[in-house]
Amino acid sequence: MRVIRERWNPLALLCLLSFLVTACGELNVPSGIVYCSEGNPETFNPQLITSGTTIDASSNQLYNRLIDYNDDSSDYSAALATDWAVSDDGLQYRFTLRQDVQFHYNNLFSPSRNFNADDVIFSFARIINTEHPYHLVSRTGYPFFQSIDFANLVSKIEKINDYEVVFHLANKDASFLSNLATDFAVILSAEYAAQQLAAGTPENIDYFAIGTGPFYLAEYAKNEYIRFKRNQYYWGEQAKIDLLVFDITRKSEARLAKIITRDCQVSALPKANELAVINKHKHLELRTKPGLNVAFWAFNTQKPPLDDVRVRHALAHAVDKQNILNVVYHDTAVAASGMLPPASWAYTETEDAKHYDPEEAKRLLKEAGVTNLSFDIWAMPVVRIYNPNALKTAELIQADLANIGVTVNIVSYDWSVFTQKLISSEYDSVLIGWNADNTDPDNFFTPLLSCSALESNNNRSRWCSTELDTLLSQAKETLSKPERKRLYKQAEKIIHEQVPLVNIAHAQKLLLKNTNVSIKNVNPYGGMSFSGVELIKQEVQP
Amino acid sequence: MWRYLIRRLNLFIATSIVMMAVLFFATGMFPVEKGYALTGIQFPTEEQQVQTVEDYKLDKNQFSQFYAYVTQRLSGNLGISVNSQQDVAEELSAVLPASFELSLFAGCIAVFFGVPLGVLASLSSSKPVQRSILAITLTGYSIPVFWLGLTLALWFGVQLEWLPISGQINLLYEIEPVTRIMLIDTLLSESSYSMSAFKDALLHIILPAVTLAVLPFTVVIRITRQAMVTVMTQTYIRAAEARGLSTYRILIRHALPNALIPVLKAFGLMLGSFASYGIIVEVIFAWPGVGSWLINAIYQRDYTVIQAGILSVSLLIIFLSIMIELLHTTINPINRKELYAD
Amino acid sequence: MPIKKLYQEEQIDSPLGQLWHAFASNPFAVAGLWAVIFLLLLVILGPLLAPFQPELQNPDAILLPPSWDQAGHVSHFLGTDDLGRDLFSRILHGVRLTFGMSLIVVVCALVVGFIIGSLSGMMRGLKSSILGHLLDALLSIPSLLLAILVVAVTGPGLSNVFWAVGIALTPQFVRAIHQAVHEELQKEYVTAAKLDGASQIQIFWYVIMPNVWDVVIIQTTIAISVAILDIAALGFLNLGAQAPSSEWGSMIYQGLSSLLIAPWTITIPGLAILFTVLSINLVGDGLRSALAPIRN
Repeated sequence: MRVIRERWNPLALLCLLSFLVTACGELNVPSGIVYCSEGNPETFNPQLITSGTTIDASSNQLYNRLIDYNDDSSDYSAALATDWAVSDDGLQYRFTLRQDVQFHYNNLFSPSRNFNADDVIFSFARIINTEHPYHLVSRTGYPFFQSIDFANLVSKIEKINDYEVVFHLANKDASFLSNLATDFAVILSAEYAAQQLAAGTPENIDYFAIGTGPFYLAEYAKNEYIRFKRNQYYWGEQAKIDLLVFDITRKSEARLAKIITRDCQVSALPKANELAVINKHKHLELRTKPGLNVAFWAFNTQKPPLDDVRVRHALAHAVDKQNILNVVYHDTAVAASGMLPPASWAYTETEDAKHYDPEEAKRLLKEAGVTNLSFDIWAMPVVRIYNPNALKTAELIQADLANIGVTVNIVSYDWSVFTQKLISSEYDSVLIGWNADNTDPDNFFTPLLSCSALESNNNRSRWCSTELDTLLSQAKETLSKPERKRLYKQAEKIIHEQVPLVNIAHAQKLLLKNTNVSIKNVNPYGGMSFSGVELIKQEVQP
Repeated sequence: MWRYLIRRLNLFIATSIVMMAVLFFATGMFPVEKGYALTGIQFPTEEQQVQTVEDYKLDKNQFSQFYAYVTQRLSGNLGISVNSQQDVAEELSAVLPASFELSLFAGCIAVFFGVPLGVLASLSSSKPVQRSILAITLTGYSIPVFWLGLTLALWFGVQLEWLPISGQINLLYEIEPVTRIMLIDTLLSESSYSMSAFKDALLHIILPAVTLAVLPFTVVIRITRQAMVTVMTQTYIRAAEARGLSTYRILIRHALPNALIPVLKAFGLMLGSFASYGIIVEVIFAWPGVGSWLINAIYQRDYTVIQAGILSVSLLIIFLSIMIELLHTTINPINRKELYAD
Repeated sequence: MPIKKLYQEEQIDSPLGQLWHAFASNPFAVAGLWAVIFLLLLVILGPLLAPFQPELQNPDAILLPPSWDQAGHVSHFLGTDDLGRDLFSRILHGVRLTFGMSLIVVVCALVVGFIIGSLSGMMRGLKSSILGHLLDALLSIPSLLLAILVVAVTGPGLSNVFWAVGIALTPQFVRAIHQAVHEELQKEYVTAAKLDGASQIQIFWYVIMPNVWDVVIIQTTIAISVAILDIAALGFLNLGAQAPSSEWGSMIYQGLSSLLIAPWTITIPGLAILFTVLSINLVGDGLRSALAPIRN
């Protein structure tokens, strides 16, 4: 008897275990999606940053804007504003606001009133008005709004009544509505702000975010995950999923592994060379779309030796873009001949004036009388849509420049240190890029190369020309598309002549997802939106 | 008996003090300001600065500084994390259970499979079997754990899609932390998906636990085999055989308990390398335990977390190895002498 | 049961000869020895045999699979990594970094450990027990944690790995030698020598040492395999050798980013580590069983 009992014990345990593993039958998984995102958001307020990671985790999930683009991005559609009108002189924009829109609540705040004109005024006054108590909160500035000189553009925001506001502009601006439809121009809660200001913790509104969006922020564990839940009182079409989790996974291969093992359903920034692996797994699908972005190599034009335009010309000829497209982008990008990508309506096909020609480069250097040239290339340490691997790009450029006798030293820091050091502009040149926030072509020029961008430190070339600025403001004031297209072509020409930067590539926007997830539309610009994402019940394979 | 216990306690205290001295010495050598390395506050206010000097006696000599350091650390003041600005002690209490879960699971796998295999190996007298056991155990010793982990992840996770390879559980499950041991918490959870969450957690632990189990598994096989061979030649076994007991009974009832004593001892000696392996396994499988916490800390130069991680892990190892030694002495009749000797 | 010889052979092997005979009768151990000799040759000749420079990038041959694969090419025998560097050349250069370095670290740790261990082993009483506690404490810190501590102080880099692994290994030598010396010291033949009027130094060198060498040898083989695994583990965690280095662990770290698309970038350095550690362990195991009858 005794022996039998002893034999039974481990057996019984095994049975129990196998029962637990196999016999509990149907899986009961919460209805939701895990999105493998590439990093921590710096904040949950998109007004404060330009980084795509933060935009993805905030703008379209937590907030709304006054207006949105419609599905094919050709026109605007109503969001928090149901109607809008432009005065004849183009200086006054009147918005009629949506009623019965509720803000989220969290353990710090429950809204006592619905969304109204005060919230709109607060959201923009914070940016424009330097005296505003919230202007300096979170101390990061408003890089997008500074780069388009928003504070000087908008002279006044007037409240007509609770559901009507008028924006008064100082000058005509064709890109104004476009800018209001960007991911940055979100509407915050004025009531929450006032409450937190009174409590002495104003920075809370940027971290424990309250918005009107389709999801609300439930939990954020740095380096681990962000948990969003469906906003049941959403004014628009309700999100199709109850739960949205951002699984913060820095490494691209780890994201791929997670989506293969079904720990994620959607993954950010897949690498093009992973395509072979993706194809092996039937439950994965790669979505591509020509992106509105540009990767470039910006020269610090305020520092010798790159302050010499002849040197810049020479360097531009020395870079073999095709090789970079091949090695870094795995041919999922097109070579950039100018700032504007082919996906932009203002794009005109031109021959690349800076074609690869090392002999020409050598000749130009000789002409400039520069010998033993040596400088630094800063390469960003992170993956971005426009450049999946800046370090490798830098290594290739290093090899190219070695061919014309130029020595290059590659520098990289941790991303947070890198961005800080960029602001202090100690670099000689930097490999970085731009992902458009909206479809307006101005978005590729004013935020990057204008004199106001110099102030907001987004002008990585530290270069500005009054000629270009005049051209850009002229283009902004023009409403006719063909005329604007002509003006931007001229702008491209100035940039070609002055070479403040070398454009490298326009990358495709890639999104990797499980086939049981349906995503209707991937925008060529801006951040991810999960409100229309749906889980499809799949037939169980026999 | 008491004398023995007191001597062990003495050993524990002395070792811990030496350990803390090493850590204190290293903290002084960190390439940052000492107050910052001790508290984790990078830009202290005037008040905080005064407080730090007061707490750690930074104005006094090295000896009182050390004394202050020990009292602060033992009273649970581990400073705040440089990176997350959270209390380090709190973070530690969140990551320790996960590591515990993983190592316990791995240890169980090692014993569950290692002991029977070791016994089987001891019974066989054929050269090929002996040699192949030797080959397996030597390979187990020699295999670099990080490579093994990656290879297993590649095969069972990516190629075959059988098992998840990252984290403790699918993030869709929202599990209230009670014990912070995921396998238990999922069962305690009152949500409707408690059972599927448990299953998911179980699937998540398999690969890391198996990877981590390889080292103790080979050790267990080897030691069990050796001990069984030694035990089986002893006279009391022959006496049992002479009495006509079945081989099975002799093996399980008479030989095995005595053979397991050296296995216990081997476990104690192995703790250090087991912990090292655990750290690497946690990094590979993104297991949210002390190991990945510590490695992240070193990447981010989070000095307070580095100290806390090393301190807690080594104190645990010192404590556990002394406990194992104690257990070993109590259950091993040969050692009892030592217990009662005055 | 072996047949007993009636007459003793004329020549009795020296202890070393006996050891060799016992060792050579184990084919695994001999194979291990050959492998170690091969590796030692590679430490010296590796860089000369390598067809390419270890850091030479070939943009036309990125992530080329090993030559036995259909897509592979014979010019890159073991394939290339994500920067088009030849893995075969990198492995050959890495022998020096991983295996060669482990030898140097072990020799240094051995010398230091030997000196401290024998001094403390000869001591008695309080001094000895304090040292014992100190060693217990150092031994209880896993070598990886010790290495992390060193890296926290000095920053990552191959030279710091030397310190980290050295500091982690030394206490093990000290303890092994300390214990061996201490044990021998209790034995009667030592007392006999003492009664003969031998000085401390004479007792240590002529009386005890010949009986401690085998402990040193066994400990050394263990230490070498531990050192290789530790150096590689630090490289893998990116705390040791840094990016372009062809240290094997670091190679695996650099291969991580192409783990899924090009598994050979981690498989090959991993196998190299396994092969090296396995041969060292085979030799160590052989030595241990060869020494066992002599020791008893």
